[in-house]
Amino acid sequence: MNLSTSEHLFAEYQRQRTRRWFFKECGLGLGSVALGALLGRAQAAAPTGNPFTPKPAPHFARAKRVIYLFMAGAPSHLELFDHKPALAKWDGKLPPAELLKGYRSAFINPNSALMGPRFKFARHGQSGTELSELLPHTASIADEIALVKSLHTDAFNHAPAQIFMNTGSTQFGRPSFGAWTTYGLGSETSDLPAYVVFSTGRNGTSGGASNWGCGFLPTDYQGVQFRNAGDPVLYLSNPKGVDDTIQRGSLQTLARLNRQRLDVVGDPEIATRINAFEMAYRMQSSAPELMDLSKESRATLDMYGAEPGKGSFATSCLLARRLVERGTRFVQIFHEAWDQHSNLSADIAQNCRDTDRASAALVKDLKQRGLLDDTLVIWGGEFGRTPMVQGGTDGRDHHPNCFSIWMAGGGIKPGLTLGESDDFGFNVTKDPVHVHDLHATLLHLLGFDHEKLTHRFQGRDFRLTDVHGTVVNSLLA
Amino acid sequence: MMARNFIPVFRFLPICLLLITSGGVPAHAADVSSTARGAAGLAEATARHWAFQTPRRPSLPAVTRAKWAQTPLDAFILARLDREHLEPTPEAGRVQLLRRAALDLTGLPPTPAEVDAFLADTAPNAYARVVERLLASPHYGERWGRHWLDAARYADSNGYEKDRAREMWHYRDWVVNALNTDEPYDRFLIEQIAGDLLPDPTQDQIIATGFLRNSMINEEGAIDPEQFRMEAMFDRMDCLGKAVLGLTIQCAQCHNHKYDPISQEEYYRLFAYLNDADELTAPVYGAAERERLEGVRRDIQRIEDRLRAEHPDWPERLAAWEAQVRGDVTEWSLPELVEYGDPGGLSKLEVQKDQSLLAGGHRFSGGTWRIRARTTLTNVAAVRLEALANANLPMHGPGRGDRGQFALREFTLEVAPLNDLTNRTRIVFTNATADFAQPATPPGKDGSANGPVVLAIDGRDQTAWTLDAGPGRRNVDRKAVFPAVNRFGFASGTELTFKLQCHDEIGSFRLSLTTVSNAVADPLPRHVRELFAVPAANRSAAEQQRMFSYWRTTVPEFAAANMEIEQRWAQHPEASGTALTLHRRAIPRETALLKRGDWLKPGPKVEPGVPAFLPPVETGKEPPRLSLARWLADPRHPTTARVLVNRVWQAYFGAGLVTTPEDFGLRSDAPSHPELLDWLTSEFVAPQTHLDGEPAGEPRPWSLKHLHRLILLSATYRQSSHVTPALLERDPYNRLLARGARFRVDGEVVRDIALAASGLLNPTVGGASVFAPAPAFLFVPPNSYGAFPWVDATDQNRYRRAFYTFRRRSTPYPMLQAFDTPNGDQACVRRTRSNTPMQALTSLNEPLFVECAQALARRIVTDGGNTDAERIRHGFRQVTARPPTDAEQHELLELLQQQRAHIRDGWVSAAELATGTNNIPTAQLPAGVTPTQLAAYTVVARVLLNLDETITHE
Repeated sequence: MNLSTSEHLFAEYQRQRTRRWFFKECGLGLGSVALGALLGRAQAAAPTGNPFTPKPAPHFARAKRVIYLFMAGAPSHLELFDHKPALAKWDGKLPPAELLKGYRSAFINPNSALMGPRFKFARHGQSGTELSELLPHTASIADEIALVKSLHTDAFNHAPAQIFMNTGSTQFGRPSFGAWTTYGLGSETSDLPAYVVFSTGRNGTSGGASNWGCGFLPTDYQGVQFRNAGDPVLYLSNPKGVDDTIQRGSLQTLARLNRQRLDVVGDPEIATRINAFEMAYRMQSSAPELMDLSKESRATLDMYGAEPGKGSFATSCLLARRLVERGTRFVQIFHEAWDQHSNLSADIAQNCRDTDRASAALVKDLKQRGLLDDTLVIWGGEFGRTPMVQGGTDGRDHHPNCFSIWMAGGGIKPGLTLGESDDFGFNVTKDPVHVHDLHATLLHLLGFDHEKLTHRFQGRDFRLTDVHGTVVNSLLA
Repeated sequence: MMARNFIPVFRFLPICLLLITSGGVPAHAADVSSTARGAAGLAEATARHWAFQTPRRPSLPAVTRAKWAQTPLDAFILARLDREHLEPTPEAGRVQLLRRAALDLTGLPPTPAEVDAFLADTAPNAYARVVERLLASPHYGERWGRHWLDAARYADSNGYEKDRAREMWHYRDWVVNALNTDEPYDRFLIEQIAGDLLPDPTQDQIIATGFLRNSMINEEGAIDPEQFRMEAMFDRMDCLGKAVLGLTIQCAQCHNHKYDPISQEEYYRLFAYLNDADELTAPVYGAAERERLEGVRRDIQRIEDRLRAEHPDWPERLAAWEAQVRGDVTEWSLPELVEYGDPGGLSKLEVQKDQSLLAGGHRFSGGTWRIRARTTLTNVAAVRLEALANANLPMHGPGRGDRGQFALREFTLEVAPLNDLTNRTRIVFTNATADFAQPATPPGKDGSANGPVVLAIDGRDQTAWTLDAGPGRRNVDRKAVFPAVNRFGFASGTELTFKLQCHDEIGSFRLSLTTVSNAVADPLPRHVRELFAVPAANRSAAEQQRMFSYWRTTVPEFAAANMEIEQRWAQHPEASGTALTLHRRAIPRETALLKRGDWLKPGPKVEPGVPAFLPPVETGKEPPRLSLARWLADPRHPTTARVLVNRVWQAYFGAGLVTTPEDFGLRSDAPSHPELLDWLTSEFVAPQTHLDGEPAGEPRPWSLKHLHRLILLSATYRQSSHVTPALLERDPYNRLLARGARFRVDGEVVRDIALAASGLLNPTVGGASVFAPAPAFLFVPPNSYGAFPWVDATDQNRYRRAFYTFRRRSTPYPMLQAFDTPNGDQACVRRTRSNTPMQALTSLNEPLFVECAQALARRIVTDGGNTDAERIRHGFRQVTARPPTDAEQHELLELLQQQRAHIRDGWVSAAELATGTNNIPTAQLPAGVTPTQLAAYTVVARVLLNLDETITHE
């Protein structure tokens, strides 16, 4: 499926889809014009309707939607997922020289003492997935998730690595995974954005808005930032003194005036604008409805650890479920809190208290609602942490060679643990998964051949996976 | 209708038409699509590709409707319409035409008074004079500056995680000014790429190099500065490709270009031109400051001239002094550097060719550098610290403070024998000397003090060596020598651990050792010492002057004159601002081809050079980067002018003649009107057409304003944008241009129209970027990595044009982002133009739009006449320039009446609706206007501001 508008401007592409919508859905103006002739040569390549009209995936899709819990700052795999009893024996000793050959680190001199894992691990569920004592709730879904312990990446500073994880490039300006997804699949709601982004945690992300940007794709596809309390969307509420009567009256007058102008000038773009105002008005009631957690049972709220009206990671997870229920295609929660260069033991324990319960609750909740089968949940950060100590006695530096993430639902093989690392959790020793491979796999689950979901820009067909990536078949259910 | 006799050139047109027939379609349409091609195929395609040939001025084609044409370009449009058997659309109404031209040229709608004046002007050249008025408006530079700044990826912050504010607006203002003065485009380019290398560059020419410095800067902790310098270099190449060359050269960063004839080696040869520059945060002086500064320099020169005149024997005395001091040098040796940086790893030091260390990346402003080094010397008597000016530091350094200053709190050294590294000894220093220190300050209550260099070895953190010599003399090399109480150095070799505890860290420095006794900091500046190596007879006037300026300070009998000069220096102004600029490197930097584009995998070295398929570059005469700039701006260059002309066309018609403005390569879209593009390009570079109304002396080569006139005065441009169903079906994208262009205006213009229509607009041109109102939560965690000091302007800056809204890369301004404004992460030569519910919510509810609705309501009831009908008409004209139709008038009246009743019935607070607050003193209402009346008009005004037509170029 090549969606490239190879011979046309985006503007033209948008005008064209506007025109389609105009004839198909609006019923205004010109009547039964032969659509094909009107749309001209771009027709075959272009999606129908507005940019978010649901589009069938070109291949069999296991996942229809994505919830990505992005653990920005990079959680320590050695404390959470990748148990290294051997590393404990090396605690306080310098790493073997051959380990560091050609290695660059961010803060520390690589030749620093090793530090053993700070927490206990145990096996859980029928799968026997090994997890840290910091993740008791994740342990309860051990049989639902696939744990990948062999991820590796190209960047080891936060901003470039986050951008890489989200866009497949360390250079700013490429479309994000969420943008590619909504570009490829459209949306199943016209009352809420197709791609919603929350920020929780202690800091903002290092990559900023580019983490959910649309790059060179039409701007429709960039993530829309939601807040997890109050007005979820910017400028959603009417101005002071404007009640619904005034709002409705104003929008009706506006629509009639715009329609009169449409009759005079004949530009179908006006019809799109009329529609945009209608959708905005619908969003003014659908978004508050989304945020209203009063209909959620006590049990559900407790399962997540969410408190209505209080923005938190837990609330965002619950809102993510509510969003996908309502047809939102892609939800991403950026929780930036994991950059433990020092005070690792206390801070990572706190982070797990903040996130473990809700992450697991999300998977359970999706499952009990029958949504997990075709909703892909991803939990992970932008790189791992060094086995070497930093900041005295209790910290770890950035580490790109090896880290862990977990995924669930949407065609992911449950209960799987994939990949192995060496005794230090330093290098991958078995089943390596590069970020590009991960992207290829995720797109595969969404029904795309990652080499064919492309967009022509500057004379080149760009992809999420650049010129790399192999689908990791062993991850597939 | 416009009369046609004001464009005399067109009298020639019929003659042309007799002589010329259309020459058929050139090789533009050649299919060079993606199929794999051998080298021969590529060479052939390259040789044939239209965009790689220097444009030649085509003859005007024969057309059937010659009278329709207004400027020569119309002939090309008509010829195509003839072929398609289409007719042009009649000219737009005068109001629509005026509004279109005003939005295109200034980004501001015409006022009703301007509309009335235009309608009243029945002179045949009324439209041409309006065009001239708009071209002369200072707002022209803002509107067209915005187009350029998109391509130049302008932003007011550094990007990446920290995303701190940067002072870049002097560059932005330079662009505005260059466009307003119609600086020829070739010069405009040369100054931006190599302004610093022009002979005796002006401050403005240096500021212009900010074009290349608009790249992001990573200040995240622990980054490798060189890695992100390279990222910025790749970004510059990308920008050069998109904005100037119209070639996707960045494809060749990792491998030979797949489609275009650009090899990876050629990419790095182009790269080499840009690579050879330092990244200087340069001081910027305002006009008054510059005058003072010149005054100081003149005065000093005068006093020195007087000294020379009064002491005609000065050359002999100087020579005697030189003979006396030139041998007075201490041998210093450089220890071998082992490890350097801040111990926490946040900030990095890079070793330079001269073994000095240069700071980059994260700025800690108060911390410690630790340097581990080795020496085989024994009997070391003293350590020297040289603080070195460097153009990669603020204002040349040598510190990393905003003015290049630093303060050294403590300087310590521990030594250990190489065969027993844990056996460390702290070296005790005494009798430190420096070639400069500020006078000692009286000690503060906490014992803090600064000034003399001994404060750096007194064991107390709250005291420091400070060496700020004031503006004009702050940013020069300095040195200090720290003699050890006991000589040191082990027979087995010595490991040295230096710590430099700083406030405002030292940014460039070198450490060296001597075994000589009683070493002191050489009072002579390095440049004077270096001049000793040049025989006196061979020294230039400037060199002699520099020598004299130092020497005179050593002569006791010149004390009075020296004091006079010191007083002048004290009057030297501080720079009022800074600008990110390029600066020629003292030591050239080598460029290597990077394997797979990886900066850690340098391949063979490459020399600067241009791709072989393009015209040759002149080498040897000028610095390489300047040669590149001149090569780009050469009229023979096949893409530079075409690319620019195409982008100008795109701004007027919504799409370029080539719809891939960033790519004119083999895979680009074929031009819709190839001969028109070439004609316009030729006319732009070497004008032959004089348009009526054009000022005397016009047209000049590379004049953008001439290009604007050619388009604005054309019949093509003036067509109505109303489209019939038949034409829409025939040419949905308006590639044939049988009608005028209709599109939603850019995000900045959306805002400016609301500000202008409501009367709130503050039209001030230039100056620092402003903080328009924005949601505060966006600028604190977790929505921003760190807190950013965005304080909503509450003064008149609140209502500045959106052009001046501060652009923070990681937090794009929400209103502008909703309307597709790029955030400056990378060059953008083509905006997308979406039409979304988020836009609707923004223009309905965003606080500044709401303020505009309230202000427009006030304006309507204050100036709009006495009846509702008059007032609605007045309001409608503010936003669309035209009066409403009866039907429109009726709709709005009905809304007004309904909502007035609703408000009067007390369903909502009239005061709150009209003013945003319930506590509005009646005195602040317009005379004779009730809150209900004002509130009802606020509802109407909000609808007016949200009309599709209001934000549309019709």
